[in-house]
Amino acid sequence: MSLYSYMAWRNIWRNPRRSLLTMGAIAFATVILIFMLSLQFGNYSTIIDSVVKMRTGHLQVQATGYQENRDIHLAVADPSQVAATLDRAPEVSGFTFRAHAFALVSSDNRSYGTVVTGISDRELTTSSLARTISEGRFLTEDEGAQALVGNILAKNLRVKPGDEVALLGQGLDGSVAATIVTVRGILSSGQDQFDRVSFYIPLPYFQELFGMGEAVHEIVVIAERLEDVAGLKQRLEEEVAGDTGRALRVLDWKELSPGLLEAITLDLMTGFLFYIVLIVVVAFSISNTFIMAIFERKKELGLMLALGSRPARLTGILFLEYGMLTTLGLAAGILIGCLVTLYFGAYGIQIPGMAEMARHYGVPERVFPQLSFLSVGIGSGLVVGISLCTSLIPVWKVRRLRPVPAMAEG
Amino acid sequence: MIYDVCPPTIHLRKGMKVMIGQAVFALLVILSGAPVCPAADTLAAEHIVDTAIRYYRGQSSAAIMDMKIVRPAWSRELSLKAWTKGQKNSLFTIISPPKDEGNGTLKKGDEMWTYNPKINRIIKLPPSMMSQSWMGSDFSNDDLAKSDSIVEDYVHRLIGAEFHEGKRVHVIQCTPKPGAAVVWGKQVLKIREDHILLLQEFYDEDNRLVKFLTGTQIEPVGGKVFPRFWTMQKGTDGRDFTIVAYREVRFDMEIPDDFFTRTSLTNAWR
Repeated sequence: MSLYSYMAWRNIWRNPRRSLLTMGAIAFATVILIFMLSLQFGNYSTIIDSVVKMRTGHLQVQATGYQENRDIHLAVADPSQVAATLDRAPEVSGFTFRAHAFALVSSDNRSYGTVVTGISDRELTTSSLARTISEGRFLTEDEGAQALVGNILAKNLRVKPGDEVALLGQGLDGSVAATIVTVRGILSSGQDQFDRVSFYIPLPYFQELFGMGEAVHEIVVIAERLEDVAGLKQRLEEEVAGDTGRALRVLDWKELSPGLLEAITLDLMTGFLFYIVLIVVVAFSISNTFIMAIFERKKELGLMLALGSRPARLTGILFLEYGMLTTLGLAAGILIGCLVTLYFGAYGIQIPGMAEMARHYGVPERVFPQLSFLSVGIGSGLVVGISLCTSLIPVWKVRRLRPVPAMAEG
Repeated sequence: MIYDVCPPTIHLRKGMKVMIGQAVFALLVILSGAPVCPAADTLAAEHIVDTAIRYYRGQSSAAIMDMKIVRPAWSRELSLKAWTKGQKNSLFTIISPPKDEGNGTLKKGDEMWTYNPKINRIIKLPPSMMSQSWMGSDFSNDDLAKSDSIVEDYVHRLIGAEFHEGKRVHVIQCTPKPGAAVVWGKQVLKIREDHILLLQEFYDEDNRLVKFLTGTQIEPVGGKVFPRFWTMQKGTDGRDFTIVAYREVRFDMEIPDDFFTRTSLTNAWR
């Protein structure tokens, strides 16, 4: 250890209370930033994951224009070709086929217009739909005229498992598609807008009823990890969309539920406001302790100048002191921050402000903060930036110090 | 011609002075070439619309129609029988193609039912479905019933006049009355002086033309002059449209009230 580092280190511990307070302020800021960022990121990934698993998937292959028009004619005619491509992709954790058609569903004397969805057995390995069954049981492909109904729609229709529901829609050829199905199960996702409209029947039965042949409307893909999505999308676009002359299109979850991305961006913006306030408060508390330290040590600094220290040397020592304080505070902050985050990451935390957004997207209200390099990196990076900036103020003050008045003052 | 658009009631219980005033006003109108009389504008317009709708529907009517739905990628034809009585009752049933034979809709008052022979069920349409497409065509359930909503739920204003085959045509703008349960932001009607509806344009709330109905080949049909072809076109690009042609139609015959029942709906096609 060089002389200057030794001097800086000794200076810090000459007034332990002052130094510990400064480190405490830095550590506190680090803990808060790491925890809040982890909480936000954790919340987003929970929401994204649940929306993706529940509904859209990470990616979908659709006929071009289907996303906008929802026209029954805009179908993927030969899904097996796309399936073959997906089977070869290592990033794909699962995929399934879905078909949709607008139809009137009617019990004895109540009827509602809704979108009927045909689902395949692959749904079990792809989405979390089967987990939302609250009554009855899930569909299988070979069961024909059976249906799963959202709990609000079921309540409106006044049906329960075992009851019959008439279904009236329009087939691909324009003819009337009508049938009677038996309710097999009730779905309760906890998400009202979803439970009010969901109506599922087996895919082969759907294709027969609506005269679809082998065609489907959506090939829903779940990737192994969220990070794989962009690369997988590009590859699929080249292989699938390219082969079919752009008749097919690959959409990612951001395009499939643009509202979700908007909600996240909005929440992030509100979060930023909070962080700015936090940063200002932290900056003041750190600069306060730094400046106070200079005032208290005027006599000492003046004496050093009188003994022949150059101001540059003095500022060097001060910088070293601040660097050590920041490093120690930061280390403590990162340690405590990670521990706190890991604790809540394991047990979850209930946040009133986020509950509404969570309910809207049908995810559990309990939030699990997610510790990541990103949250730790951004958190500690911000703190280092703040202390660096605030330490410039006392250093600048020292350069204007004159030995005699400084000693007289102190 | 001017008095055509002013309802006759205006002249009742009015003094000589008013009459002179009106005569002067009428003269001014003639001189200025403007074919409207603003004071009675709304009333007159409503009268024209009401008469046209009554003329269109007659006291009662029975018809066989051919419908062709045209899309860029496909088209589809179907034939149907239709009965209407008064302003509120109507019954439609499909007679071809065989696959869809017997599917029908009954409208009575503001309520509507649909029947499918395959599952042998009558389903009541929720009010929200009234603006939905009828059997996949460009006509909505509401359009086909051609109810009196256009008279009751809208405020009418004469906005112009043109000529068609030597006859005067009134151009009428209809805007929804406050609180009226209608889906359109505005409708524009062109009604010929012999009460024939030539054009009905449907605009959304942003004043964009959504679809329009045109009546063509005006000739004696079923004892009165009537457009034989009705075309409902979506948007303005001419890609999606539906043509209805009257194969046979009879007006003003006796249809008993109890014909418009759910029983008829299940039996009318046989």
